[in-house]
Amino acid sequence: MRDNPVLRTAAKILFAPIIVFGLYVQFHGDYSPGGGFQAGVIIAAAFILHGLIFGLEAGRRLVPEWLNLAMLAAGVLIYGGVGVAGMALDGLYLDYNVLLPDPSAGQHVGIILVEFGVGLTVTSVMLALFHAFAGFSEDRFADKPEDTAGGGSQ
Amino acid sequence: MDLVATITANWNYLIVILLMMGGLFIVISQNNMVKKLVGLAIFQTSVFLFYITVGKVAGGTAPILMSYGKAAYSNPLPHVLILTAIVVGVATTALGLALVLRIHAAFGSIEDDEVLAMKADAGMPRSKRSRSSDPDGSDPDGGDPA
Repeated sequence: MRDNPVLRTAAKILFAPIIVFGLYVQFHGDYSPGGGFQAGVIIAAAFILHGLIFGLEAGRRLVPEWLNLAMLAAGVLIYGGVGVAGMALDGLYLDYNVLLPDPSAGQHVGIILVEFGVGLTVTSVMLALFHAFAGFSEDRFADKPEDTAGGGSQ
Repeated sequence: MDLVATITANWNYLIVILLMMGGLFIVISQNNMVKKLVGLAIFQTSVFLFYITVGKVAGGTAPILMSYGKAAYSNPLPHVLILTAIVVGVATTALGLALVLRIHAAFGSIEDDEVLAMKADAGMPRSKRSRSSDPDGSDPDGGDPA
């Protein structure tokens, strides 16, 4: 698909709007249906489109595996960190009311931070799944004696 | 007929039943493991739809506090439950596809009957590839026709 000019141009045009739409769903989840899960999948779809059109190696250069793993862990850390921050401020786990002096503002900040963590993790997991499946080469398991440490690195 | 009126009034349940039975039929009738996973995904979708349609209140909005006072809202509990179930569904699909990839690497086929026949030819059902016993890779797993 790398040589088809129609697909290449369409992918270049679509890449940024898909991410913008994902960010819209992400930050509008506060007031309307939407949120981290949906936004994460939409943003991951942009990177998966890039990987499909420009090749897996280009996708791996765009989002290296170490960065993907770091984002994956950072999302969970943000989610849990917001919860523990509520506990540290004399509230319950994931109690947004105590995050700021004004409980209503605290709710806004809390849900946006938590959904940001969810979105980060979902994006990274989707990308990791895509790279793991698309980069799966059978001879790694059929010929070599024992190779489980390589991860996704061809 | 009273029965027909009942069914047409509850057409959402009819869709759920059709999707669920269709998915179940694909799972038990197809030999291809990827197609089995597709059937499983359709089956899961029917369960999602069932919970969401039960929780929906006619004319209800999202359960978010509005400035203009009270409004009818849909029951958020089934929706949140299904949000979790969708994530679990993605994880189970990924796990199933990973197992299919490994089965293809080991047997060179993702057809259920072919894999079972190869296992029967090899003598016994193995839970693990016996790579440690013959390090030169001459076991039937590696050399199967692709």
